[in-house]
Amino acid sequence: MTRKRPLAVEDHERRPVMSSARDRRVVCHRAGPLLRALPACLLVCLAIAGPWLAPHAVDAPVTAPFAEPGAGAPLGGDQLGRDVLSRLLAGGRELVLSALLIAAVVTATAALIGAVGALRPAVGRVVERAADVVILLPAVLGILLVGLSWPGGGRLAVVLAAIVLSLPYAVRLVSSAASLVAASGYVEAAAAGGERLRVLVVREVLPNLRATLLALFGLRFVEAVYVVSTAAFLQVGPQPPAADWALMIRENSPGILLNPWAVVAPSLVIGMLALSVNLASAALAPQSGRQAVTLR
Amino acid sequence: MTPDTDTVRVTGLTVAAPGGRLLIRDASLTLRPGHLVALTGPSGAGKTTLLRAIAGFLPPGTTRTAGQVNVLGHDVFTLPDRELRTLRATLLAYVAQDPGSALNPRMRVRTLIRELAADRTPGAVAALLAEVRLPDEGRLSLRRPGALSGGQQRRVALARALARRPRILLLDEPTAGLHPELRDEIAALLRRLAHDHRLAVAFSCHDPEVVSQYADETVELDRLLARTREQTATRTPLLEKAATRTGPGTPLLEETAARTCATPGTPLLDVRDLRVSFNRNTPALDGVGFHVAPGSAAGIVGASGSGKTTLVRAVVGLHPATSGTISLAGTVLSTHLTGRTREQRRRIQLVTQNPLGALNPSRTIGATIGRPMRLHRRRPPGDLRDRVSGLLEQVGLPPAFADRYPHELSGGQRQRVAIARALAADPDVLICDEITSALDATTGESIMNLLTRLRKQHGLALVLISHDLPLIADRTDTVTVLESGRTAETGPTADVFATPRHPATHALLATTPRTGP
Repeated sequence: MTRKRPLAVEDHERRPVMSSARDRRVVCHRAGPLLRALPACLLVCLAIAGPWLAPHAVDAPVTAPFAEPGAGAPLGGDQLGRDVLSRLLAGGRELVLSALLIAAVVTATAALIGAVGALRPAVGRVVERAADVVILLPAVLGILLVGLSWPGGGRLAVVLAAIVLSLPYAVRLVSSAASLVAASGYVEAAAAGGERLRVLVVREVLPNLRATLLALFGLRFVEAVYVVSTAAFLQVGPQPPAADWALMIRENSPGILLNPWAVVAPSLVIGMLALSVNLASAALAPQSGRQAVTLR
Repeated sequence: MTPDTDTVRVTGLTVAAPGGRLLIRDASLTLRPGHLVALTGPSGAGKTTLLRAIAGFLPPGTTRTAGQVNVLGHDVFTLPDRELRTLRATLLAYVAQDPGSALNPRMRVRTLIRELAADRTPGAVAALLAEVRLPDEGRLSLRRPGALSGGQQRRVALARALARRPRILLLDEPTAGLHPELRDEIAALLRRLAHDHRLAVAFSCHDPEVVSQYADETVELDRLLARTREQTATRTPLLEKAATRTGPGTPLLEETAARTCATPGTPLLDVRDLRVSFNRNTPALDGVGFHVAPGSAAGIVGASGSGKTTLVRAVVGLHPATSGTISLAGTVLSTHLTGRTREQRRRIQLVTQNPLGALNPSRTIGATIGRPMRLHRRRPPGDLRDRVSGLLEQVGLPPAFADRYPHELSGGQRQRVAIARALAADPDVLICDEITSALDATTGESIMNLLTRLRKQHGLALVLISHDLPLIADRTDTVTVLESGRTAETGPTADVFATPRHPATHALLATTPRTGP
């Protein structure tokens, strides 16, 4: 699953290397954005490697319930006296990977459907009407429906529901951004020159939507974190005694006054994750030059 | 505020692209109220960059390495953002080379003009449109930029700039793509504005005639030195101008004679009775047709907005025709692009009017030109690199440009890349929509020579749209005159221009001295 990084991001990370031979200034220019993408990379890596780094078992008590931070448990204990730090390290992998998967699948699918819709107006009209209908269904309600009607679905049910429910928004956004590119001279020239639809989408339209797609990926990631943790909070998906950030917030909220860290720490990481991924996607989006060329 | 004498003063300005390549070196320029300054020079000499520098807006990625730009007593490069915005919104107006892409496609003309206007009443909008010779009788102010022709977009952008009553007006190629009568009117309008309203005007221009007749002062940017050379005003009298105009035409007359010997033969591309409409009531084209034989050239002329671009877009299938036939070498083509085979699409290539949006910003020039060759497999893959270099050289660009991206090229250079891309497909019919309007005279001439050579050697059929009537007279065998979507007149170029029968042809020829017999 780790290999399933979004295409747009990978594509962009390769670019500085390609252009470096030609232009040293470009590399200097790119160093800043890579630095700003660093927090997100660190946080995601930490969440994925977390279960191996955890000092204690996540399901055995090591201290008193809701014990304050002390020796052996730097962030104190939770409702059953389990180590909060260990559960924090162990509880992010599933959430982060689900959110990355949802964001990547939604962005990639929306990019393809949106670009095809912009290039073929007849398809575009059908897609937009269909999207309008699905948008009417609130995401949380949809997830509850899926979770209740498919109790054994677990994480997979949540991921599928989140993808289906957030796709229409993404398709609407991409198709309106793509319609401007589809009307440009170079797409017309390629179409008149005999290019197939697939080539028009992949070569002509999508590379010029990099900024939009990266922003969309960031937004969809935040949305996915929100949806997956809401589902976990409502106990659709992971079940106790599994370690999960959202589950930790729910389980430990009765003891928030005794050991606030048991609630504050998982809340903080969820927030930081959302912020840092958006920062990274904004930093990696092309700022000028190739992007701004048609508006000069 | 500075004394009234110097509105803008550029001293020793040097601008470098990323990588250290100099876009302008040591440029100096002074603008005064009531003074019309023309910037000339070959494409890629830095005319656009200099105009943008005055607006305090260098192309992204470029840096100013030396020099100063002083506008109304402010150094624009040290001015805080807020004040610079106020300056641009109230005192200084810049109209870009391709106004079509700078106009918001979702706004109506009325809103576009009103957006920054000092006077927002409907009367003021109508007056501005009348001033740029866009009478509002066709409810033009309710249209969106997409429903305007290239020349109309240019004038809407000019009206938009004038609406805020600026003290400085910067125009990049304001007369490109306009027919001669309109071009003279716009140039005269600029001159009147400069003198009556005490505007300081700077404009870049490829047209030596406009420069010599209307500019008070000429600044020449040199590509090799990238340095300005100022010349004092020398306005050629009208009579002399007529003489220079006919001058370049004379040696080509022999060629015209030689060409008429070649029999026109069966038409390769035959367009009959084409109808196109944007909406149900007003057809953009109504029963228009033309044909062109292998190795010959057909011209399409007409006033701005007469449907020339719509016609050729319908021919290549970009705008579906509601009725009529388009046949290529005897085969009737589908009016929709999707109904045509890849081979049929390869055989007709269009070079569009707008050079800025014509190239994919994410692809290098080499990839853009190489793509049609790979797609149509006209060359063994090993030859690609050589062939790309060869095509670049043919259109007068160094082969090293293959590694550049479109934003690193000037408007004229992009236009030439678009021509190279069309030629890379090895077309049988090449349609050129105003391709020389963004090029300086020498480059334009060499491109036309290249196309003439391809016609003679490979039997390429050429369709030329231009406002430059001497060019049409020199380079085409037959001509079709369009007037508001209908064929006004058609026939051999020499006959039509020598004995025009239709009022529209008379109107077009009125401001241009007759060439040919």
